[in-house]
Amino acid sequence: MMDLIHNLVFGISVAATVQNIFLCLIGALVGTLIGVLPGLGPVATIAMLLPITYGLPPVGALIMLAGIYYGAMYGGSTTAILVNIPGESASVVTTLDGHQMALQGRAGPALAIAAIGSFFAGCVATVVIAAAAAPLTSIALLFGPAEYFSLMVLGLILAVVLAKGSVVKAVAMILVGLVLSMVGSDLETGAGRLNFNIPELADGINFAVVAMGVFGFAEVLRNLEVTHNRDIVSAKISGLLPTREDLKAAAPAIGRGTALGACLGILPGGGSVIAAFAAYTLEKKLSKTPQRFGRGAIEGVAGPETANNAASQTSFIPLLTLGIPPNPVMALMVGAMTIHGIVPGPQVMTKQPDLFWGMIASMWFGNLMLLVINLPLVGLWVRLLRVPYRLLYPTILIVCCIGVYSVNNSPTDVYLTAAFALVGYWLVKHDFEPAPMLLGFVLGPLMEENLRRAMLIARGDWSVFVTRPISGALLVVSAILFIIAVLPMIRKKRDEVFVEEG
Amino acid sequence: MADGVGRPAEARASGFIRNPQDFWGGAALLAVALFSLWAGSDLPGTKGFAFGPGTAPRLFGGLLVAVSLVILVNGLISDGPPLERWGIRAPFFFIASVLFFGAAVRPIGLVISAFLTLMIAAAANKDVRWGESVIWSAILTAAAVALFIYGLSLPMQLWPR
Repeated sequence: MMDLIHNLVFGISVAATVQNIFLCLIGALVGTLIGVLPGLGPVATIAMLLPITYGLPPVGALIMLAGIYYGAMYGGSTTAILVNIPGESASVVTTLDGHQMALQGRAGPALAIAAIGSFFAGCVATVVIAAAAAPLTSIALLFGPAEYFSLMVLGLILAVVLAKGSVVKAVAMILVGLVLSMVGSDLETGAGRLNFNIPELADGINFAVVAMGVFGFAEVLRNLEVTHNRDIVSAKISGLLPTREDLKAAAPAIGRGTALGACLGILPGGGSVIAAFAAYTLEKKLSKTPQRFGRGAIEGVAGPETANNAASQTSFIPLLTLGIPPNPVMALMVGAMTIHGIVPGPQVMTKQPDLFWGMIASMWFGNLMLLVINLPLVGLWVRLLRVPYRLLYPTILIVCCIGVYSVNNSPTDVYLTAAFALVGYWLVKHDFEPAPMLLGFVLGPLMEENLRRAMLIARGDWSVFVTRPISGALLVVSAILFIIAVLPMIRKKRDEVFVEEG
Repeated sequence: MADGVGRPAEARASGFIRNPQDFWGGAALLAVALFSLWAGSDLPGTKGFAFGPGTAPRLFGGLLVAVSLVILVNGLISDGPPLERWGIRAPFFFIASVLFFGAAVRPIGLVISAFLTLMIAAAANKDVRWGESVIWSAILTAAAVALFIYGLSLPMQLWPR
């Protein structure tokens, strides 16, 4: 307990420098700004803004990226409530009651309760992370290469289970990501692989190239085709603050959402989406008046919004303790850490305590910033939603172009990004979801390394993955989840709960 | 099925390939997988217990072959929507603008290349308003220079050398 307080105080002392608070504020602000824009979810936002953080010191860069992440998540909720477009899949459920509230002229309370709930969840989740980090890091020491490999398999399977549409296609996307990650030099022998002696490919395909091509640019290509009819709530947003009754109704939902989200977020593979859905279902089940749900029930906004924020924060736990990104956003964080020369994993806590605790403490600041930014600025975000796309997409273009080029000052990276933009466009046209590919791309080298080591230690005996208890258990869970996901597809009745729009 | 009869072209693809998105998607991934296997075929593989540089690429590539075959076959035996049409104008000008940026940023510097890149990209929109685009491109160029060169001090050439 004393350790926890000591560590948090240390973290706050790192995060509370003028520079870091400023970076956190800028991150949250810019994240919200871009997250509010239609068609740009957290992954695209972070991919786009990654280069801005290159010149910063590592702690500052990660604090800013975390701020961007929360901001983009919150921006997604804002669009869900005001325009009925969920900015990311986790805010799909927010549209149900949030937009209804907005139509009834209660957009203000809906946005406020989302912000308050998120802030509360953020505070609790920060403490959860700080408390869980140390024990989990010691568990990480029990993990050998076989366990790491199996855990990554579990993470990838969960990503597949949660992907929308076809399970087989999601598996294929992961494998494409894994194959792409093989390009470049072999870690152990240094032999060039699949790089056709192109010097720019000797270090592999740059992460920013794939992320910006497939998420940033491909998204623009798709959006240029569809005509946006945005059903913006035109009624003036008056009465921002929720009433006493609103708060009374929302408070238990916020509490339950936090608990649910904090637990589910630790799971690899997209915890914030399940958390939001689970919280909504829970609130509806517990409610004495379930018929109000879908017609503007404030609990229906408070529960999922709180849960998804708690979960998106605790999803840092697998990254910080095990070095395994549980979702595409965390995959981007790994990319960012690698660029700053930090290898994510249990050693970060002992070797770079300032980075580790500073980042955790900054999460609390980030959530405070969101509250401060969002409540007064709601009117501004509404106006931003009206920015026409013809002004928006050149902005995305030039930021991404300069960003990609600046990674290595390499024109080849820019050409490759253009190629990946077409790949992303092609994927969308053939109903493939690109997010699992990005996860596979980031996990590929880690998986290979651990698979290789495990096999070497076990003297070529593949059974090591099932005979070691932790590894075996992880694989059994993966297998069960995979079967659960595949079964409905075989019966042609796959539940399309996780339909992502816009 | 009944509603598919009236408007076959809209709802369902007809012909031998019943689910073209899956069929062509699977076929293309199969090509990628085979290409990666071919490109990695000269890499040394497993020696004893030790993985060689070629082991993992072959493993992932091989799995991708299997999975893409499943998707391809699924495209023949299940029904699905027809292929979506590709836009021509938007991808052409947008990709052209990115390629132009890559080619131009070194020789002619950021200011001119960013402005021209934005002007090429403006043509990607079918409702392009040229006057507005010139002004907006100039604003964005100035903002990009301010942010990236002065704000973040990236080492980039501003003007032609």
